[in-house]
Amino acid sequence: MHSFSLRKRLVLVAILVLIIALGLVGFALSAANYQGAVSSMQARMESYVYLVLAAMEVTDAGTLEMDEDFSDPRLTQAGSGFYIKIQGQEQSWHSASAVGRSWPRLPQVLAGTMSFAEPAATSDAFTLQYGVGWQLSEGSIEPFTVSVLVDKEQVLQQTSAFRLGLWQSLGTAGVILLVAQMVILYLGFRPLRQVTLDVARVESGQASRLEGRYPVELEPLVRNVNRLLETEKSNQTRIRNALDSLAHSLKTPLAVIQAGLSRQDSTLQNAVDEMSRLIATRLERAGSSTRRSLAEPVEVEPQLQRIVDSLQKVYSHKMIQAGFTLEEKLAFYGEKRDLLELLGNLVDNAFKYGKHRVRVTGGALEPESSRPGLQLQIEDDGPGIGESQWEGLLKRGARGDEQVEGHGLGLAIVTELVTAYGGEISIGHSELGGALVQVRIPPS
Amino acid sequence: MRVLLIEDDLRLQETLTTHLREAGYAVDVSADGIEGLYLGEEFPIDLAVIDLGLPQLPGLEVIRKLRSKGRDFPILVLTARSEWQDKVAGLEAGADDYLTKPFHVEELMARINALMRRAGGHAKPRIDLGPFMIDLTGQRVFRDGKEIELTTYEYKVLNYLVMHPDEVVTKTDLGEHIYEEDADRDSNVIEVFIGRLRRKLDPDGTLNPIETLRGRGYRLALVLAA
Repeated sequence: MHSFSLRKRLVLVAILVLIIALGLVGFALSAANYQGAVSSMQARMESYVYLVLAAMEVTDAGTLEMDEDFSDPRLTQAGSGFYIKIQGQEQSWHSASAVGRSWPRLPQVLAGTMSFAEPAATSDAFTLQYGVGWQLSEGSIEPFTVSVLVDKEQVLQQTSAFRLGLWQSLGTAGVILLVAQMVILYLGFRPLRQVTLDVARVESGQASRLEGRYPVELEPLVRNVNRLLETEKSNQTRIRNALDSLAHSLKTPLAVIQAGLSRQDSTLQNAVDEMSRLIATRLERAGSSTRRSLAEPVEVEPQLQRIVDSLQKVYSHKMIQAGFTLEEKLAFYGEKRDLLELLGNLVDNAFKYGKHRVRVTGGALEPESSRPGLQLQIEDDGPGIGESQWEGLLKRGARGDEQVEGHGLGLAIVTELVTAYGGEISIGHSELGGALVQVRIPPS
Repeated sequence: MRVLLIEDDLRLQETLTTHLREAGYAVDVSADGIEGLYLGEEFPIDLAVIDLGLPQLPGLEVIRKLRSKGRDFPILVLTARSEWQDKVAGLEAGADDYLTKPFHVEELMARINALMRRAGGHAKPRIDLGPFMIDLTGQRVFRDGKEIELTTYEYKVLNYLVMHPDEVVTKTDLGEHIYEEDADRDSNVIEVFIGRLRRKLDPDGTLNPIETLRGRGYRLALVLAA
């Protein structure tokens, strides 16, 4: 099961943090802007109060008279959004802009006090009220309340324009920050991707350790991976050497037993044969590396030439004519000793049973693969192998006494080896007249 | 024929020596590479059986050194290492054949016989020599299909002559290749063997199969059939 990807985690957290942070900033700024707009409006409304007070006159009879020659068109134009009303005890005045507007119920305000209200459920306008007491000549005081109303749209127009601009710029900033975050992630994760690629190269055998230059933070990881690789390699060598020496040290005592047995002791002879066969097919193979991925490619032709030269010497009296047709630069992606083992056993059988001719044909399997497989055919002009024996010869781990004499041991070793490489082996009839053994090892 | 056996496992060395002597070979034995190399260089060896895993000097080195000193007798490698990379290395070092441990003694004897024959220029285990037929495997000699009974030493002398056709073989050669190092060698004994062999092979004195070259030695006088 995968844990959530690091990149996704980081991007997700970044998005959340950006939304929360930019959102808070946005709300704070737009609130501050609103407050600013409201208080500047309040100041403006106060100045209207003084403007109106300056234009107001009360006669000695207590009658309110207005000099309506306002230079401010907002007070004269109907529906301008700015409305002023002066209320006395029995008389009132309102600005020309307020013609046709219905007035909310406005309370009287004590002289000398000022009250300010923002739009609320009862009113959709900003309201500023100022109470004045007008001293008449007779000495009595006539109370008036000057009310200034401003439609809330007057303020909201301003603030909503600001808010739109604000969110646009915050959005742009958010996008820029996100892109920057992606770039940072990409650059930050690049060494990790490099490590992943390098580990894959080690796994596929193109490198034996992590070699590149990595950032300081990754160095401990790289160091430990390399140490692990080395430990594993030396363990493998140790196990292999231990098994090898066990296999070899068993053989000399076996040779002593066998040399001491008389020809009549067939039960003991069989037991010794069986043991040596097991040592050759199992114990000696047990230590071999199955990590063919690490092996360097081995060119087939020189190794085949070595085997053929050696066998020509051993079978010099037979004057075998050995020919081989191999694809140019045909290579085996595995251990050299395994290739020698495979060729040695099969070509040895061919020399042993062939009368005059031995032929080896080879080609690559899936040559376009980075580590192609190998296909080999070994033929001779000997008596061949009967079809009834094919299955028995290729059965893995068949007992010694089930093996067909002669071809048996070599084929058993090769079968064991080819299986370890995930390949297959088959027997057939050669057009030369004898046996044909075909080996196919898939790409690694 | 004289065989050098270099094998460090004393039990195996002992058993093989017994088998080789029973088969009529003179055997020189060594348990380590340095002594073995010395024997191979200094003694008139006809064939060597060399184990690869030797103390002091590895078998491969012994073979290389023998070959570089111009010693060209057949060498059979005996090895616990059954892998082909080891077999090929042995053969490339100069060995002529190999046998993997454990092995059947009969197989070893057959290989030694075959190597000896090939070194003597004989491809087949039966040699036709005028009216004589020598069966190298069974170590028997026939004249016109009738077996001639020979003692071990008489057979050894005949065998050596057959393996060195067209060569003058001295009494010293014969002594050295028939007896082991520590045996008491007397050239008169060789003369006795030659005399008995002539009488048994050619009782009526018409064929004269072995000729004497005065002061030099003996030579097989019959032409080998191809």
